[in-house]
Amino acid sequence: MLDSLFNIDCGYLEGLCRGFKNGILKQTDYLNLVQCETLDDLKLHLQSTDYGNFLSNEASPLQVSVIDDKLRDKLVTEFQHMRNHAVEPLGTFLDYITYGYMIDNIVLLITGALHQRPISELMPKCHPLGTFEQIEAINVASTSNELYNAVLVDTPLADFFGECVSEQDLDELNIEIIRNTLYKAYLESFYSYCKSLGGITAEVMCEILAFEADRRAFIITLNSFGTELTKEDRAKLYPTCGRLNPDGLAALARADDPENVKQVAEFYAVFMDPNADNLKNSRTENEDLFTFLGVSMKLFFLSVCLSVLYSYLLPKNFEIKEVGWVIDSITSAH
Amino acid sequence: MVIACALKIKRILLCGPRKIFAIHRSPEKFYAFLRNFALYFNSRTAVTIGTVGAQGEGGTMGSLFRSEEMALCQLFLQSESAYTCVSELGELGLVQFRDLNPDVNAFQRKFVNEVRRCDEMERKLRYLEREIRKDGIPVLDTGENPEAPMPREMIDLEATYEKLENELKEVNSNAEALKRNYLELTELKHILKKTQVFFDEAMYPPNMPYDQDVYFDDDERVNLLTDPALQNLKHIGFVAGVIFRERLPAFERMLWRACRGNVFLRQAEIDDPLEDPATGEQVYKSVFIIFFQGDQLKMRVKKICEGFRATMYPCPEAPADRREMAMGVKTRLDDLNTVLSQTQDHRHRVLVSAARNIRAWMMKVWKIKAIYHTLNMFNLDVIQNGLIAECWIPVADLEVVQLALRRGTEKSGSLPAILNRLSTLESPPTFHRTNKFTKAFQALIDAYGVASYREINPAPYTIITFPFLFSVMFGDVGHGMIMALFGGWMVWREKPLSAKKTDNEIWNIFFGGRYIILLMGLFSMYTGLIYNDVFSKSLNLFGSHWHIGFNDTDLRHNRELGLDPAKSDHYEGDPYPFGLDPMWQISLNKINFYNSYKMKISIIFGICHMMFGVILSVWNHRFFNRPLNIYSLFIPQVIFLCSLFVYLVLLVFHKWVWYGAGAENSVSPYCAPSILITFINMVLMKGYQEQDPESDCNPYMFAGQFGFQRFLLVVALICVPWMLCMKPYFMIRENKQRAMMTAANGGEGIVEEGGEVVAAGGEQHDMGEVWIHQGIHTIEYVLGSVSHTASYLRLWALSLAHAQLSEVLWGMVLRIGLTAGGTLGGILMYLIFAAWACLTVAILVLMEGLSAFLHTLRLHWVEFQSKFYEGQGYAFIPFAFETILEQAETTV
Repeated sequence: MLDSLFNIDCGYLEGLCRGFKNGILKQTDYLNLVQCETLDDLKLHLQSTDYGNFLSNEASPLQVSVIDDKLRDKLVTEFQHMRNHAVEPLGTFLDYITYGYMIDNIVLLITGALHQRPISELMPKCHPLGTFEQIEAINVASTSNELYNAVLVDTPLADFFGECVSEQDLDELNIEIIRNTLYKAYLESFYSYCKSLGGITAEVMCEILAFEADRRAFIITLNSFGTELTKEDRAKLYPTCGRLNPDGLAALARADDPENVKQVAEFYAVFMDPNADNLKNSRTENEDLFTFLGVSMKLFFLSVCLSVLYSYLLPKNFEIKEVGWVIDSITSAH
Repeated sequence: MVIACALKIKRILLCGPRKIFAIHRSPEKFYAFLRNFALYFNSRTAVTIGTVGAQGEGGTMGSLFRSEEMALCQLFLQSESAYTCVSELGELGLVQFRDLNPDVNAFQRKFVNEVRRCDEMERKLRYLEREIRKDGIPVLDTGENPEAPMPREMIDLEATYEKLENELKEVNSNAEALKRNYLELTELKHILKKTQVFFDEAMYPPNMPYDQDVYFDDDERVNLLTDPALQNLKHIGFVAGVIFRERLPAFERMLWRACRGNVFLRQAEIDDPLEDPATGEQVYKSVFIIFFQGDQLKMRVKKICEGFRATMYPCPEAPADRREMAMGVKTRLDDLNTVLSQTQDHRHRVLVSAARNIRAWMMKVWKIKAIYHTLNMFNLDVIQNGLIAECWIPVADLEVVQLALRRGTEKSGSLPAILNRLSTLESPPTFHRTNKFTKAFQALIDAYGVASYREINPAPYTIITFPFLFSVMFGDVGHGMIMALFGGWMVWREKPLSAKKTDNEIWNIFFGGRYIILLMGLFSMYTGLIYNDVFSKSLNLFGSHWHIGFNDTDLRHNRELGLDPAKSDHYEGDPYPFGLDPMWQISLNKINFYNSYKMKISIIFGICHMMFGVILSVWNHRFFNRPLNIYSLFIPQVIFLCSLFVYLVLLVFHKWVWYGAGAENSVSPYCAPSILITFINMVLMKGYQEQDPESDCNPYMFAGQFGFQRFLLVVALICVPWMLCMKPYFMIRENKQRAMMTAANGGEGIVEEGGEVVAAGGEQHDMGEVWIHQGIHTIEYVLGSVSHTASYLRLWALSLAHAQLSEVLWGMVLRIGLTAGGTLGGILMYLIFAAWACLTVAILVLMEGLSAFLHTLRLHWVEFQSKFYEGQGYAFIPFAFETILEQAETTV
């Protein structure tokens, strides 16, 4: 019954999103892009895709950063359009998606500030979906306590920050802990929100988020080897909404080297079947992302759920990255 | 001969209504009128519906009857002259080029660099245009159409645009710097003004009587600065600045949190909006001043200010310094104002001179770009250093194209281009030469499906049948007049209206169909006169032929009285000269009478229309040389339709002519049989009971009716297997013969008469498919004739609905105003008339008009065109600068 009313509120946006999805570059587009020799060629080809005339008003020696910005701008405009038209519960759902970008931006800015970079230089590198009003004043904070009290308390992230308030000065390790704690709280909150929505959305989104949670647990473990992070602290960072919870997480918490991690992964078929060596080199994360992408593309076949919108952003971000690689390879060839 | 026949059919179709309505106008005159009408709108091309008469089979002159004959041509161009030749062809707009390198990427084609240069020029011009529009300078549209410049001129153009762009950019960057300076100074001015108030407050606390003029915030009466401990300003540092108004609350909150409440902030809004120098937008800002103690806090406050993009300004502590600074700022502002206005003047001059040429420049660039895009579709001829193109050209225009090519080669002075006609098996594009009158009607047909190559085009017939069938549903003089006036106005003001380009889709649809609207309106007025319906009232133009022949006693003692047409004091004996007698409008049995009449004419029109469609299919069969189709499809189809439905029509006429008032015995009005029941009985093969001996009535309308009907039914039934079996049978036979012949020729393949080589076995029809296809076709036709005939009843239904709706509107709205008396009644009438007029236009003309339009469209697409029209072709899209410029202009 609820499903039959879905289209009243979200039908338009779902349709719109599917339309946007059809604009995602195809295999043949990439084959053509690879053949481009200059950025102008690239521009000419992108003109024939859904990107259309997005570069037509730029002066001819194209700057790499300009292309990057424009590519991202398109995604952001599309997202903002959907956000502006969204009604509850889709509005909150889309907001949740932006929180992830906020966390990344905060971490980026704090790390930059630690290395004495001016904020104005860092701002363009932040993802525009994750900006908030106070973001540029973030370097006021020198401890996580200040970060919370001065900056984050007014943002939606305040709820996730509860656990990492301390008087310690911010340093690399600290920031990494903050990022993971925030992310853990964010994922768990998103998970429970999706669960509360019920229906197909809950089913599908919980599966995706569980996968994401597990992925993070593995990455945290792998990245923690050789750092000062204690096992107890590490265990605290694992998001608990995944399938690894609780046995897998306990096993991961005990792990001492990548071999142990692999053993854990072997218990869970999901992580092993795309290719067996996946986790060994998953420090680059990319192959893992491909699996993830596969999951999210599957979602497009389901309808009557909000997750369509979620699963649109992932490949789109990925596409921007890929076009970026093409651009890099073109510029480095010259 | 063919056409004469078509004309005759058409006449029959057109005469149908006329006979019934008794208009005494000869069909020739009507047709001539139409031809002149069409010719009037296009004196340039001699291609109009009128020339259908001059069209023989396989005629080469252009016509709407069939699409133009097309030739696939190969074009050898010298590389020097290719550009000019294509340019000439673009001006001509009669050639459709085929992309010969569909697999090559856009950026790997030959002239990609030129295309890119054009893009660059276009970008510069767009930039110029944007700037021109920003300054509100009108762009001169002289309507001139500059020729595409030669490739060598491109460099000059590029240089011109480059220079202009650079000049403008420099001016803009200067202006921006000046504006930024100006903005800073204005902000500083505001700071000095507003902070003065804050400082004054501090010096002279509000509880002390000071100067009445001093500005006080109502809610800021309790002022921290008046605290005695903080009285001395020297120990307290402060920062003054300007911030966007909408960011202020967050800024304030953040300051409070980050400094733990140890700062004091005052703010005042700047009332006038300031101009953002980068974007030129008007923004609202606020002045703030923050007081704090100590360096650490100062650092922190500054960081927050930067974070919120607040601009900070030095503000001297001493009042005298501040006053002096304010004076300095004021003089500098004045200086800046003069410089700024000079810069603006310069910019304006540059833009005005650019605005004069920008249209022509744009057109030039678009043309060059279009030419290079076309050249990119050509193949390279490596040996002869030339380009090879393939294109579709209307055969009638081959000469013109040759001429254009010669002009092109002369311009560049190289070897002439060579045009070769290729023979091809490919189906050529469909090209109908239309003018502004026929274009809209052709569009209605193309919306269903573009005609297959050279098949009969329904458009010329649609020009008349479309408005006519529409008007049958929309018959009302008043509503028709509104529509005709609107259409007429659009036709009258055609040039100025079409010059005004607009994006309004609804308007464009109406304007595109202006001739349809005009014709629909005129025809509706005509049928309105026939129905004698003007806003649901009747006109008594010639005086009703019915009279109230009752005396007083009759009238006094009866509630209802019937007029008897047989009595001469009730009815004059001959009908009202034109249309329906106005007396029907006020009679009680009006609906009964109208229904019977409208229902019958709907069926008559419908069957004529369908019959016409079936007969048109002969010309397709003959043209494409498919005699089998005539024997196996056309003849049984005609017989089927005639024996059932044309017979029905004849019965209607028989009843109209034979039965009537005053007639005696078996043809008296009381004996008239129901046509519907008669027809149903015919199909069920049911006889009638014996004649009732007490009455004179005969259940049969003519002698031998029962036997005749039985015969017709049997004939119709025979047609069904005829349609179903004959064609597949002959095809099987033909296939067998062909197979034998191929075997005899040793599998070499046979050369057919047409000169086409048909590979052995290549044309083997899959027999199962043929049977299924034929079965579907037969079922479709047989069931279709029944359901399509019924479908034409929509003519009656919509006409009835329209008449009733307009009657309701009159009776329930306007009548209230008409019956109210006194002065109040006048005022009421004034208001009610407005309501009635609005409802009439909105509901009766617009909504009913749209629905009648849609139903007419359906009657044409489904009921009429299904009888002969394939619609499997693709449209001819010539390479023409005209359309390219139009498209470019709409996207700008």
